[in-house]
Amino acid sequence: MHRVGLLVCLCRARTRFQPGIFPAQSSTAALRDRAREPCGSSRGRTGPAGLREGGATAFAHSGPGPSRPPSRRAGPREERGGAGMAARCCQAGLSCGALLSQAVLSQAVLSRAAGGAPATPHWGRAAFSSAPAVSGREGPQPREGSVRRRGRTPQFVRSAAPPRTERMAVDQDWSSVYPTAAAFKPASVPLPIRMGYPVKRGVPPPKEGNLELIKIPNFLHLTPPAIKKHCAALKDFCTEWPSALDSDEKCEQHFPIEIETVDYVSSGTSIRNPKARVVTLRVKLSNLNLDDHAKKKFIKLVGERYCQKTDVLTITTDRCPLRRQNYDYGMHLLTVLYHESWKTEKWESEKSEEDMEEYIWENSRSQKNALDTLLRIKASENVSNVTEEELLASEVVKNYRNSVTALKNEGETESNMSQYKESVKKLLNIQA
Amino acid sequence: QLDRGCALHTAARGGLSSVSSQDVPAQRPRAIFHTSESDPAKHTEQHEGRLYNIPLEEVKAVFPHGLPHRFQQQIQTFNEARVMVRKPALEILAYLKGSNFAHPAVRYVIYGERGTGKTMTLCHVVHYCSRQGWLVLHVPDAHLWVKNCKELFQSSYNKDRLDQPLQASVWLKNFKTSNERFLQEIKTQKKYMWGKRESTEEGRPLREVVEQGLARVRSASDAVGVVLREIKQQSHRGSFRLLVAVDGVNALWGRTTLSKEDKSPVSPEELTLVHNLRKMVTNDWNGGAIVTTLSQTGSLFKPSSAYTPQELLGKEGFDALDPFVPIPVPNYSPREFESCYGYYLERKWLQHEKAHTEDGKAELQFLSGSNPRQLDRLAGPL
Repeated sequence: MHRVGLLVCLCRARTRFQPGIFPAQSSTAALRDRAREPCGSSRGRTGPAGLREGGATAFAHSGPGPSRPPSRRAGPREERGGAGMAARCCQAGLSCGALLSQAVLSQAVLSRAAGGAPATPHWGRAAFSSAPAVSGREGPQPREGSVRRRGRTPQFVRSAAPPRTERMAVDQDWSSVYPTAAAFKPASVPLPIRMGYPVKRGVPPPKEGNLELIKIPNFLHLTPPAIKKHCAALKDFCTEWPSALDSDEKCEQHFPIEIETVDYVSSGTSIRNPKARVVTLRVKLSNLNLDDHAKKKFIKLVGERYCQKTDVLTITTDRCPLRRQNYDYGMHLLTVLYHESWKTEKWESEKSEEDMEEYIWENSRSQKNALDTLLRIKASENVSNVTEEELLASEVVKNYRNSVTALKNEGETESNMSQYKESVKKLLNIQA
Repeated sequence: QLDRGCALHTAARGGLSSVSSQDVPAQRPRAIFHTSESDPAKHTEQHEGRLYNIPLEEVKAVFPHGLPHRFQQQIQTFNEARVMVRKPALEILAYLKGSNFAHPAVRYVIYGERGTGKTMTLCHVVHYCSRQGWLVLHVPDAHLWVKNCKELFQSSYNKDRLDQPLQASVWLKNFKTSNERFLQEIKTQKKYMWGKRESTEEGRPLREVVEQGLARVRSASDAVGVVLREIKQQSHRGSFRLLVAVDGVNALWGRTTLSKEDKSPVSPEELTLVHNLRKMVTNDWNGGAIVTTLSQTGSLFKPSSAYTPQELLGKEGFDALDPFVPIPVPNYSPREFESCYGYYLERKWLQHEKAHTEDGKAELQFLSGSNPRQLDRLAGPL
C-alpha cells in the first residue's frame, strides 16, 4: 500500500504544477509499472491489495487491445466516471467511499485472476478506454480524487459475476475443482469459512480475500473420493491381497513384524529422495518368546521405543544409506535385543528398589512395618511362637499386601484408598 | 443500611452487629444447627453438622497454638468458639474410644483438599483428648520447623545435627501452657547434662526440663528431644494416655528451604526437632494414638493440586507411616453447609440483603463449591 501512497503523492505533486495537463502516457506507464510488480508474480495467488492492483492493471492491460493507443478523447462523463471510479477504487484500495461495491469489483477482479473470462469485456474495454481519458485530464484524481467523485452515482454499473460456488451442485465431482495441490480460492470453495483475528467485538474475517487462508497449506485435493481415484489408478500396479489373510488377527499371527517404508515421487529430474531410506519396524512383545525377567530387561534396553499401552515395540532405523541396509540393521537389532534380554549378567543382582518397574511388596519396607506391628501386637497379647511365615500367610496380611500393591502401582483413587483403609483396620484390629 | 462495598474492620463489625435496618428473619431456633453438648466424648451422629461451643477459657488452655488463624479471628469477632461436628472427626473419636492401648499406637492420617477442615478436625480430636485427660503433644504446623529459620546452630549433642532454638522455645512455651499438670507428675528417668555445668537429675519433674529449655534458649531443641523421649518411654506404663497430634506431617519427610553456612541444603533429618518428632510418629510405643494431618498449604516444593498421602508424603514418608488409617475430609455436605450458613446469619455476619434469600444461599453454595475455606472468605466481605 505504501507503493500506492507514494505514487499518489507523486501524482498529486504533478497535479499541483500542471493541473489538467497530465500526460496520458506517464499515467498509464505508471499503471503499467505497478502492474508489472505484483502481476507478474501473483497470477491468481495475490493478497487483496495486490489482487486489486493486479486485477485493475490487468484490466487496464489485457482489456481488448493493449496496443490500442490511449485516446485523449474526453469520453462521456459517466463512462469516464464509472471506469475511473473503478480504476481509482482498484488503485486506492477502496479507500474511497465505495461507489462501486467491493463485491462487484472483487468478483470481477477475481474472475480475472482465476483465469476465467472477464465477466464483461465491455467493462474491460471501458476501463481501458476511459482510463487514459480519465488520466488525461484528471490524472491524479483517480488516486486522490475519490473525494470529488463520491457524490456522483456511477451511471455505468457493472454487474458482478457470481462466484463459482453458487453454481456448484452438492454432488459435484470435487476432484475436478481441486485436482492438484492449489491455493485456496474462495470463489471455488463452497464453505463459509472464517479465519483470522477478529476485529474488536466482531468476528474473524470472511474467506473473500483472506490472506491467512491462502498462506496455509490445504488438503482440498486429497478428499476421500480423490484418494479413491488415486487408489483405483494405482491398482493396476498392485498385486492381489492374499485371500487367507482376511482378518487383523490372522495377519498378526502369521506376520508379527510390520515393516514400514515410504516411497517419494516428485516432479524433478531426480528420482532419489534421502527420506526413502527410513525403515520402521513394529512388533508386539507378546509375540516374542520372553519370560518375566527377559521382558523387563528388554523394556529397559529399548527405553522409549516401547509403548506400554499397546505393547508395541517400534524401531526406526535410518543410519544406513540404503533401505535394504536399514532393514537388515533393524532385524539385527531385534535379534540382538532378544538374545541379550535372555542373558542374565552378574551385575543384575544389584538391582535395587529404585530400578524396579513396579512395586513388589515382598521384602519391602511396608512388609517390614506390617510384620513388626503384628509381632508387637501379638507380644502385647502374650501370644508367643507366632512365626513370620504364619503371619505372612494370614488373610489380613494378604489383604493388606494387595491393597498396598494396588495403591503403589495404580496410584491413589477413591476405591484404592478405601480398600487400603479397610485392610489396615483389619490388620490392626481397630473397631469403631 | 450498611454498604456492601465497604470493608468493615472485624471488631467494628462485631460491634455493629445489631445495626441492620433489614429485619433479619433469622428466626431459626438455635437448636437446629447448634448443640449444647460441649463434651466431644458425647458427640454422636445425631450431632453431625451441628456446631458446639468451647468455653473461651478452655480454648486458651487447650489450644495455645493449634487453631487456624482465621478461626482465631472468628473467635475474637463472635466472642465464642463454635466448632462443627463432622463425620471424619466422629470417626476418629470412635476409633480412639475403641482402641486397645496395649497395642502399638495407631496412626491416623487426615487428608483432603485445601480448605476442607483438616486442621479443625484435628483440633476437635485434641479437644476430646484433653477433656479425657490425655497428654496432648500438639505440633501446630510442622512446616514451620523446616522453613524460615533465621538461626541454625550445630547441635552440641550430635555434631551432624542442627538446632533451632527459636522454634523449639516457642513450642515449649505453648506445650507448657497446655499440659501443666502432667509436667509436674512425670519424672525424668535419667540424668541429663545441659552443657558443662547444668544438669537435670533423675527423678525431677519434667517441668524442670522445660524451664531449662526456656531459660537457656540454645538448648531448647535438646530439651524438646528430652521431653519427647521421656513421654514416649513412660506412656506404656499406663499412668497417662498420650496423643501425638501433628499438623502438616508431610513436612517431616520433604525438603527444607534451609541451608547450612556453606550453602549446602539441609535435609530434614539433620534437624534435631524433626529427628525427634519422627521418632514420636513411629509406632514402637503404646498407650496412645497418633493423629496427623497432611497439608499442602505450607508445604515446600509440592504442587498445589497435591492432596493425597502418597503425593504429599513421598515414598519415604509413606513407608515411614505405613500402616496408617487414612481419613479423608470432604467439602461440606448440604446439611453442614446449611448449618454453617445459618450460623453466619444468626451471628449477623452476612449483612448483604441478598444473602438472606434462598437465591443468595444457592449462590454462596455455588461460588464456594461447599468448600469451608472458600465460604468463610466469601462471607467475609458480605
